Amino acid sequence: MGAYNKQGQLIRVVQAAREKAADSRKKEEQGGGRQQQFASNDNDNLDAKKDVEIPPETARDHAPFPMNRTFISQPVLTSALQHHIWRQIIHEGKSVREVSAEVNVEMSRVAAVVRLLEIEHEWKRIGKPLAQRYHDAVQGMLPKTDWAAPEWDAEHGEFAKREKPNHESINDLPVHAATGQQIFLPTSESRHFTRADAAKVFDKRLLPADDRVPHPELTVMHKEVLEGLSEEERRERAEARNAVAERKRAAALALQAAKEAAIKKVDTGRWEYRFTEIKVDDAGKDGRGLGATGWRYGAPLMDRSRGQHKIPRAV
Amino acid sequence: MVVKIRLARFGRRKAPFYNIVVAQARTARNSKPIEVLGTYDPIPKPPTDGEGKPFKDIRLDSARAKYWLGVGAQPSDPAWRLLSMAGLLEPKYRSTGGK
Repeated sequence: MGAYNKQGQLIRVVQAAREKAADSRKKEEQGGGRQQQFASNDNDNLDAKKDVEIPPETARDHAPFPMNRTFISQPVLTSALQHHIWRQIIHEGKSVREVSAEVNVEMSRVAAVVRLLEIEHEWKRIGKPLAQRYHDAVQGMLPKTDWAAPEWDAEHGEFAKREKPNHESINDLPVHAATGQQIFLPTSESRHFTRADAAKVFDKRLLPADDRVPHPELTVMHKEVLEGLSEEERRERAEARNAVAERKRAAALALQAAKEAAIKKVDTGRWEYRFTEIKVDDAGKDGRGLGATGWRYGAPLMDRSRGQHKIPRAV
Repeated sequence: MVVKIRLARFGRRKAPFYNIVVAQARTARNSKPIEVLGTYDPIPKPPTDGEGKPFKDIRLDSARAKYWLGVGAQPSDPAWRLLSMAGLLEPKYRSTGGK
């Protein structure tokens, strides 16, 4: 709405037309020998408008509510960028974090794109009609962030380096409920008070801000740049970090798989019965050990007593 | 006296939970057993990965169960059903319905 005037014309087109008309008039005056007079300004504008290209959008064009200038319509991802993200995750097997850092799109949005495209593919597979025209019309009206496909540079024999699409800020620190309070903490001047200390002041279990951001690895990389490390050293370190992370992930997966494999599953048609092996000896000599399986004998159960909360109050 | 492998009902109203126990046949259901072999949660839980069937959780020390069966402990019908599913006994009853 903010992009149009009362006559329903795009303001930036009208403006461009007016500027162009003024330019041409100036030229003609300079050239001299002009006899014809303009009938009206409006006609002139309309004539000029036809051969004016639509100028690029500005911030004003992204304000759909003229009375609310602070509301800016945010750009959406084009289909090309969405498919690029989907391909990176599904076919190239990259992690959401990697892809997010690569295309400058928030991790939650990357995950949403992959989910939505999976649904789209499923619909195509089962032959459900897609509202393609509606999609195109809406995409045509919204500001967009596009993905520029890498182009082969024959001169250098490699893909030309393109600028990353800058969709949104991806490394914003999420606001944790524990950091909502204002705390005045007296400390000695000599103390080296870091972010880790600040986090501990807010809450004992709160991680420092450097670890709570969505992409802590970007912070580390930037720190290394500031330290003045060479590109090779930085790459080596990044690879080492990736290798450690990969090893941890593989170990966690293996552990999970081993646990899963230890469970015996019996399918009875309606339910699946899962048999987990335990050890009777875990109950200890008196049968009341902490590791014991089953409901305990001779121990009071406090779940119905006063002051017991069954619903967790903090997660 | 007969030693039985049977279920002892714990949990709350409408939220049953069973201990699989080895106990003297004549003792009360929830009295202290000779040994707790495991547990049986009869309330089906939704599948963890969102796919497949709802499952019922059973924890069992099959080595101890085998020992008790070997020395002549007699499983009750529900205990027999669970132990046969675990592969420790021949099933007593075959399901007629279903597949």
